[in-house]
Amino acid sequence: MDLNVNIAGVILKNPVMPASGTYECNSIHDNIFSPDEPGAIVSKTIFINSREGNAPPRICETPCGMLNSIGIPTAGVNNFIRDRLPVLAGFGVPVVISIAGNSLEDFCKLAGIIESTGKADLLELNLSCPNLHHGIEWARDKNELYRVIKRVKEVTNLPVIAKLSPSVTDISEMSLIAESAGADAVALINTYKGMKIDINKRKPFLGNIAGGLSGPAIHPLAVYAVYSSFTKISIPIIGTGGIASWVDAVEMILAGAAAVGIGMYNFVNPLIMREVISGIEAYLKDNNFDSITEITGIAHL
Amino acid sequence: MKIKNNLIKPFLTEGRIKARKNEYTGYLDLLIENDKIAEHAMPGQFVMVRGWNSNDPILSRPFDIVQVDPANGLFRLVIKITGEGTGLLNVLRSGSRLVITGPLGNPVEVPHGEKIVLLVRGVGAAAVVYLAESAKNAGTEVYTFLSASAKNRLVCRDYLKNASKDLNIITDDGSDGYHGDARDILERFINKSKPDRIYTCGSGRFARFADEQDRKGLIKGFVFLESHMACGMGDCHGCAVKKRDSGGYYLVCKDGPVFPVNSVELD
Repeated sequence: MDLNVNIAGVILKNPVMPASGTYECNSIHDNIFSPDEPGAIVSKTIFINSREGNAPPRICETPCGMLNSIGIPTAGVNNFIRDRLPVLAGFGVPVVISIAGNSLEDFCKLAGIIESTGKADLLELNLSCPNLHHGIEWARDKNELYRVIKRVKEVTNLPVIAKLSPSVTDISEMSLIAESAGADAVALINTYKGMKIDINKRKPFLGNIAGGLSGPAIHPLAVYAVYSSFTKISIPIIGTGGIASWVDAVEMILAGAAAVGIGMYNFVNPLIMREVISGIEAYLKDNNFDSITEITGIAHL
Repeated sequence: MKIKNNLIKPFLTEGRIKARKNEYTGYLDLLIENDKIAEHAMPGQFVMVRGWNSNDPILSRPFDIVQVDPANGLFRLVIKITGEGTGLLNVLRSGSRLVITGPLGNPVEVPHGEKIVLLVRGVGAAAVVYLAESAKNAGTEVYTFLSASAKNRLVCRDYLKNASKDLNIITDDGSDGYHGDARDILERFINKSKPDRIYTCGSGRFARFADEQDRKGLIKGFVFLESHMACGMGDCHGCAVKKRDSGGYYLVCKDGPVFPVNSVELD
């Protein structure tokens, strides 16, 4: 069975990867799951400088989902390159480095630094984190979205994935803008901004007031985001959002995703990525397909 | 205080409920069959547990490991029934299967030949039983102050009694033991007995008391922390607790769950 997928010239041995910030590739998983099993690994989003993250409580369970206002704690790009990147690059699978910044210059600088290490295969622009002051705005403003992708593409030869926000009127338009700005792929979708209120304290539950909703609750929304973008763009889509089983992943691929990202479900079931890979393979076999690419987007036919 | 070098990595495993009891109001006591946790878990560590197949509730629940019986492949959890997840666990019968990730977190160092105080309230009692038993076996004198709103909520009472040289009961309503704020008896005890360490769990007031004693420089204070968490393995960064004197946060799952009381911001 051929599970290979091609994302902007990078061959993934299978179409499954973690969503940024949900799987650290730490050795604590050694008895459970190995970082060389997914088709690619994805770093937590890297910034120029270190960040503490947001005040707790940072997570809140919701029906079939979870709100998070983690706020991307990170050691900063220099420490990342010294301490983490060699580890991530040592698993023999393509490495996606997620980056974000508060300015266009930050994105360009980070792209240059990451490329110069020679250890990254793909660059993901996190344009849509709802927990950053500027985070979601890049992906919600058509001009800004175009500008940041275009500029990053001018300064790097690394293939660029644009991770987009679902909190827009029509995400397929944003996918089209990302493509026209030169993005090599889009990742659809980041979390939805939402909140929970503690009725006893009569205050927002999360320390940062609002957070990003993820989990099975958003899966049908993510499938539609992929489906509606697929016919408008020709670059590959990494379908991410609420995948909790191989069935969810197959749905996403039939809707048009070339590959899938597993997010918060890594927290629920640390074996989910392995189960999705084997489930997709079994589905293809049971339905007499020879390769994963035969089913990409065929729900449109 | 951390023992990280020969620490076993967590397993994703299944356990079967061997026995269950609701001895104390609002609490579930589960004896679970699982060789790996029984053999490898150390005092201070915890497990993530789910006992339902649906995604609602979606997150597994973290619980302190209360007792282990490696010879028989058993371990014990004591669970406070507070909401959806714990409510679902409470209706499971003996023989039911649980999905378990663990052991998680850093073990707490077991004091040898010392004198220690445990200040625990409510479900916080469950966190220190394993430490109390291990410390007793290591020749340490364990003095426990167990607090609850009322007598029928003095959870883990028998376990702590067996492991302690002396068990003091404190209730809010006076239905058993000392009635009300126990500060004066605690101070009297500490001044008289001069313990080496204090461990607290389940009460902000106890944690602040341990912190005050720690500041005097004669007793080391430790706090067992609980937190909302999604993964228990350092991936989600949900269980953040503010560092006291430097910037940033610890993660309860990865850096704790037991901390020197002077290293974290107390509520």
